[in-house]
Amino acid sequence: MNAVISKMDGTVSGESLLQGGTFSKILIIIPAYNEEHSISHVIHDVKTHCPSAHILVINDGSKDRTQEVAEANGAAVITLPTNLGIGGAMQTGYRYAHRYGYDVAVQVDGDGQHKAEQLHLILSPVLSGKADLAIGSRFIEQTGFLSSATRRVGIKILSTIVSAMTRKRVLDVTSGFRAANKRAIAVFQSDYATDYPEVDSIVLIHRSGLRTSEVAVVMEARTGGTSSINAMRSVYYMIKVTLALFIRSLKATKPVEVQP
Amino acid sequence: MQVLWIITSVGFLFVLIMLINRRLLREQYSMLWLLFGVVMLILSVRVQIIDALADAAGIDYAPALLFLVGILFCVALILHLTVIVSKLSEKVIRLTQELGILHHELHERKRSDS
Repeated sequence: MNAVISKMDGTVSGESLLQGGTFSKILIIIPAYNEEHSISHVIHDVKTHCPSAHILVINDGSKDRTQEVAEANGAAVITLPTNLGIGGAMQTGYRYAHRYGYDVAVQVDGDGQHKAEQLHLILSPVLSGKADLAIGSRFIEQTGFLSSATRRVGIKILSTIVSAMTRKRVLDVTSGFRAANKRAIAVFQSDYATDYPEVDSIVLIHRSGLRTSEVAVVMEARTGGTSSINAMRSVYYMIKVTLALFIRSLKATKPVEVQP
Repeated sequence: MQVLWIITSVGFLFVLIMLINRRLLREQYSMLWLLFGVVMLILSVRVQIIDALADAAGIDYAPALLFLVGILFCVALILHLTVIVSKLSEKVIRLTQELGILHHELHERKRSDS
């Protein structure tokens, strides 16, 4: 684990972040589009459970007061001049993490469905070097908010395709609660799907020669705003994501040189 | 009838030159369209060329050759444009992300200065 700690960011503390005597620079990326009602809760949640991490809100061209609310709550905010979609927003965070040499970049959605008290669960496989991308999964222990039955069927189908393509079982392929190490950050900062990136990025990680690890987490129903995927768009989502997976397999992917 | 084709071709070339003059077309595309316009003019002046080509290609109905070439040209052009649009959107995404990050850095710098 290539953990560094610079003078500027020397406030890292917390038991769970201490691995083998070295501290890691952790960036919590919160993509947010019109989340003024839930963003402060999310920021406080992260601050409480992971005080050493830096919080970066990517305000994806929100039309509400997301930026002001996030700044007032002490988070660093990158405001995109136009709405890029979740993928473009997350990639902004990964590019930032890459540029400033963060060891781990974690995605926590701005709608409040990911619980910061479980951050250590997805951080530990990445910090210990077991995986390059750790995915928080609702379906390992089948507890908490599991989404609607129809959506679970859709996720099951995508999971089957992804598992076949990567030859590794991944259950919660659409989960946005994930932690990426430096190698995964390097991959994502140059190649990340714009619209619905979660599923595609798992295949991308495998094709880049990196490893994923799925860990059991509990999620909540969103506390504010509206999901980017409504009922009308579900069918479109399935078709688009499935096609994207097959197109992904046609794309040339350069394996990342695996060295610490 | 042939006069009509010649007028159309000349009119097309005229519009093209006007667009280039007003810098509404980049060189790489103006080349392509100029070539297209010149071929159109030549064919309207010498209609026999199409008959000869159709004959050589074993096509009984000469205008069919014209349609075929026209459709193929359109498909190729649309594909080319789709590639350009893809590249452009990739660039716009990159620029948007960079702009967001730079804006943030500027903001941070200003805050630490004051």
